[in-house]
Amino acid sequence: MANKSGNAYALTLLCPILPGAPPGTEPGIGAKSHVACLRYELQQQVRVSEESPMAKVLNTYLCRFYVLDDVPYQGKPAILEHLKSRYLVFSSNFHGELDDYLKGMWITIEPEIRFILDHCVGFSEVSDVASFIAYIKKCQVKTTFFFNGSNDDPLAEQLKALYLKQEFSKFVCENQGRNPADLQQAFRQFIKRAQPENTANPTWKAGAYHLDRVVSQ
Amino acid sequence: MDTVLDLDDIQGNVVKAYGRYGYPVARYLFFGIVAPEAGRDFVRSILPHITTSVPWPDLSKTPLAATNIAFTYQGLRHLEVPDVTLHGFPDEFSMGMKARRDIIGDTGPNHFHRWDPIWDNQEEKIQHVHIIVTMDGKNEDALETRYQLIRGILAGVNGRSKDGGVVQLTGHRGAGGDDPLYQSAHGLLPKPAELGYPGGKEHFGYSDGISTSYFQGCGEDPDLVIGGGKPVKGDPKTKEGWAPLEAGEFVFGHRDEAFEYPEAPGPPLFSRNGTFMVYRKLHQNVGSFNSYLEAEGAKFPGGMEALAAKFAGRWRNGAPLVTFDTEEKANQYITRLAALQVKVWANQATEVEKAEFAKLNLQLKAYDYDDDKDGAKCPFGAHIRRSNPRSGLRFGNVKAFADEPGALSNRRRILRRGLPYGHSEDPTRDDGDHGVIMMIINADLSRQFEFVQQQWFNFGNDFHLANDQDPLLGNHGINENCRGEGRMVIEGDAKTNKPPYFCSRMPTLVETRGGDYFFVPSLTCLRMIGLGNIDPT
Ligand code: HEM
Repeated sequence: MANKSGNAYALTLLCPILPGAPPGTEPGIGAKSHVACLRYELQQQVRVSEESPMAKVLNTYLCRFYVLDDVPYQGKPAILEHLKSRYLVFSSNFHGELDDYLKGMWITIEPEIRFILDHCVGFSEVSDVASFIAYIKKCQVKTTFFFNGSNDDPLAEQLKALYLKQEFSKFVCENQGRNPADLQQAFRQFIKRAQPENTANPTWKAGAYHLDRVVSQ
Repeated sequence: MDTVLDLDDIQGNVVKAYGRYGYPVARYLFFGIVAPEAGRDFVRSILPHITTSVPWPDLSKTPLAATNIAFTYQGLRHLEVPDVTLHGFPDEFSMGMKARRDIIGDTGPNHFHRWDPIWDNQEEKIQHVHIIVTMDGKNEDALETRYQLIRGILAGVNGRSKDGGVVQLTGHRGAGGDDPLYQSAHGLLPKPAELGYPGGKEHFGYSDGISTSYFQGCGEDPDLVIGGGKPVKGDPKTKEGWAPLEAGEFVFGHRDEAFEYPEAPGPPLFSRNGTFMVYRKLHQNVGSFNSYLEAEGAKFPGGMEALAAKFAGRWRNGAPLVTFDTEEKANQYITRLAALQVKVWANQATEVEKAEFAKLNLQLKAYDYDDDKDGAKCPFGAHIRRSNPRSGLRFGNVKAFADEPGALSNRRRILRRGLPYGHSEDPTRDDGDHGVIMMIINADLSRQFEFVQQQWFNFGNDFHLANDQDPLLGNHGINENCRGEGRMVIEGDAKTNKPPYFCSRMPTLVETRGGDYFFVPSLTCLRMIGLGNIDPT
């Protein structure tokens, strides 16, 4: 089945990148071409904030942006082929429905999206949520492979579960073998601190790429 | 058709664990080459003394000592092996073991700053180990005679050389601060009750050197395929459950488990019948092991010995946990096996006893983990279940890879060589100079040794154990109290309602003290190196 697996959605976009350089650029300066600017933005956004802006977009399991320059030539007897343009590829696996997700994305990181997609064909037509969603759907390709590292629960549930697993294994190591009364006491304290029902806090932070950064206070 | 190997051309340590053939003592010598021609002279002069893989059907006619030789990448460079050939070696070999530290866990307590000086643990000193010569002897006298022979060869080479010759490198950390000329190693005798038991001890008290990897054409006892080959569909208690691994997993120039030749440099004659050897000096923190085992064993249901067994996957007397689930059964079994072994050795066993011995001996290795899919008997985290999961990465789902039950482990097999070194004088202390000289033979350092070390010892994901590490081999770090942060889950048993047990704050029990990656050439290749006539074009 394409695009959906349970409550998980796999989105893949191929957005054609504008050829040449933005108007007004001095000719012959490669570093100012649309594709060069786009690459710079992709790298810069992560460097500036240390974390991807996509970490702020709710329910993103895993996502990736990259530039697809061309198709590789595989040698004789293959035919030498080329893409009509370069593409910005965005692939994201997330929880929930496509429209809700894209709406969230637009509301949360519109400026960052603009920095990137401004270099793509047709994006100048986008002015609001509705036209953003329409644009994305135009670029969407059918997706059948899903990210295997999570189930299809909401991200907050999954992060909380990981947090609880980590904290609970610490609790077990610290308390195994205690008498039932003490154990129950300790467990109550653990529950009070870890708040299993509260997915907002304490929990792992979305988008952290290092263990030291995952626990949010 | 099975691969046939030219055993006259393959060095003896590739197919034989000499310890099992009655060679309980060893010396490992290291050399640096100053003058290339002297290096080649050394290779030419030692060549007639190199032990090959030819089978030894009659144990009374074996040599008193065995000698083998291998080279680091830097060593091959100093022997002026052509650049084109050198460039054909994979990166991990040319980088050497130190440069691979982040991958194989040689950080923190294992960092090369803490290694023996021979491995150049001081940044400013430039010393490379170029050659290793291993000598295995039936006794110390035989070893000393062989050693003097090598010394004589070295003196001859250096007498002929006008520009520096070949240097025997020192810088092994000896006991009590001496600076021995070589690394010695020796089998540790089992306890009297287990005398006669096959396989010596290591410093934590486990019987070691029981399991092997068995491959096509190796010329070893065909029964070793049971438990030593790769798992196939049949009953693991019989030969039907096992097939020999492809020779290319351990020897260049032959078909491997992917039905390819392993990556090796040209010309083909240079690498064919050669292989790689990992040399690692592994210090054992005996004091930490004993104190952790005592403290935790006092709480662990089943006690200290049972906990020790859960760490390794075998009782300290060698009996496998999957087959012998209580200390009593394990002791009975090994006592009987050892008694029969003594009789068999002395040629005093009746036919009935011989048959019983054969049956019991088989039980040491004839098993897989399909009947223990929850780890209730042998924990997933136990050292032997990690180092050779057999068909166990199917997690009991026998339909998975039905035709190739070992699909996820057949490409990770290794041959273990080497012996313990030093003596642990005080069982409460970690310091001193004692541990295991581990030598691992495989055709692909990165796919086999490094993978086992990185993914299976220092990580737990393949066993569904998050980032837990091997209890014995894992780098558990050092924390503020000089203790590590190791963790091990000992699975409970749902059938008997036995809860799991969690070991935490485990100290680092084994630390790297040195080592490198070596190329073990065939006899043909040694001749080519010695004559300097390698033509890579
Ligand atoms: C001080 C270091 C080590 C100690 C004390 C140790 C201890 C043991 C023991 C007690 C066994 C069970 C006996 C046997 O099956 O032969 C064993 C098996 C084994 N060990 Fe180690 N070991 C050490 C280092 C290593 C290293 C560095 C590796 C590989 C990188 C390794 C790989 C294996 C393998 C492959 C087996 C056989 C498993 C099987 O086929 O079932 N060991 N070790």
